[in-house]
Amino acid sequence: MNEAYRYFLIFLGALLIYNILLIRFIALCPLIGVSTQVETSIGMAMSVLFVMTMATTASWVAWNYILEPLGVGEFLYIPVFILIIASLVQFTEMFIKKVSPPLYRAMGIYLPLITTNCAVLAAATESVKPGFLKLNIPYNFSLPEALIYTIGVALGFGLVLIIFACIRERLETSPIPHSFKGAPIAFIIAALLSLAFMGFANLLGL
Amino acid sequence: MEETTFWYEFKKGFIIENPLMVLMVGLCSSLAISNRLENGIFMGISLTFVLVMSNIIIAAIRRWIPDQIRIPIFIIVIASFVTIVDLALKAYFPPVYDRLGVWIPLIVVNCIVLARAEGYAYKATVKNALADGLGMGAGYTCVLLIMGFIRELLGTGKLVLFDVTILKIAPPYNPPAIFILFPGAFLTFACLMALLNRYKARKVEQ
Repeated sequence: MNEAYRYFLIFLGALLIYNILLIRFIALCPLIGVSTQVETSIGMAMSVLFVMTMATTASWVAWNYILEPLGVGEFLYIPVFILIIASLVQFTEMFIKKVSPPLYRAMGIYLPLITTNCAVLAAATESVKPGFLKLNIPYNFSLPEALIYTIGVALGFGLVLIIFACIRERLETSPIPHSFKGAPIAFIIAALLSLAFMGFANLLGL
Repeated sequence: MEETTFWYEFKKGFIIENPLMVLMVGLCSSLAISNRLENGIFMGISLTFVLVMSNIIIAAIRRWIPDQIRIPIFIIVIASFVTIVDLALKAYFPPVYDRLGVWIPLIVVNCIVLARAEGYAYKATVKNALADGLGMGAGYTCVLLIMGFIRELLGTGKLVLFDVTILKIAPPYNPPAIFILFPGAFLTFACLMALLNRYKARKVEQ
């Protein structure tokens, strides 16, 4: 398999075929909680992309240069990854606050939420530690490949979040049966979208 | 008096504040792995174990936890118990571990566990924290089992538990595979929530 094609497959697989929200159900809380307005969804998607990329880079370095050589990866990966993510988010928040107040106003409120966003830990774990990736690609991720995978996951997250928010904005004026108001109808929409995304299954043999 | 409070704390998690149906936290894992009843049992036990143990430890050491760094301490405590579950499942039930996959490490960022640590165990006695953990865990497991039951029965036409078929729908029934696939999870959950809403609305009317 040539190099560029492999990158393309990893990216596409993470973005559409194994979409993190609709096919894998990771990080549903922001999907239901944040996606009521398009604007907040875009802010959230950008923050996730930013934090996820940094978290995967840091986790990859920690796994390949510290945990794996010392032979403790199997026991310590959970606490190490989650601490990396938590401190990274804290650091990013302080850094952005100091350097760019407008950016902080746009992204700031979502940053603390992202620590407990399963998507970040999931992307880091899958692209760094062997044995979790579900894509039909032989696993031996180098740093660029792990990054491509992560960016694909984050963009897939953003894409669905924004589509979802657009639909929900329209929903506010539509007649909905009383029992289905609020969260239940959101789940029905998620089911339909998920059905649409399932059409991508087996694309390019993934 | 002691006994009634213990029972009350247990019941609260189970019914009044059911983490999935009422508080709507920790949705991701419950939707993703509820395509089989058996998965629900293992995931329920794993989460209950982590929840109970972390609740007990945090309630026991709460006097010595400095307020400013309590979240990282909670996360370390939770991460250690998740590691125990991770390694135990991997050693004794490899096929189950394969199916649950990344969801086991993701218990660390499962909102239920952190929310109970921060919102309840940090201010409660050890005994109440134990009851709370058991109740919340039971509430979570119960919803998981209901979902697993509906989805596996409708989606495959039979229930398989530890390689034994325990229930089967007669042959003319042609199982729609959508229920064990991804959209089925959203649909089942939406319908369960709508039912609950309807039940509540009825109760208010009366």
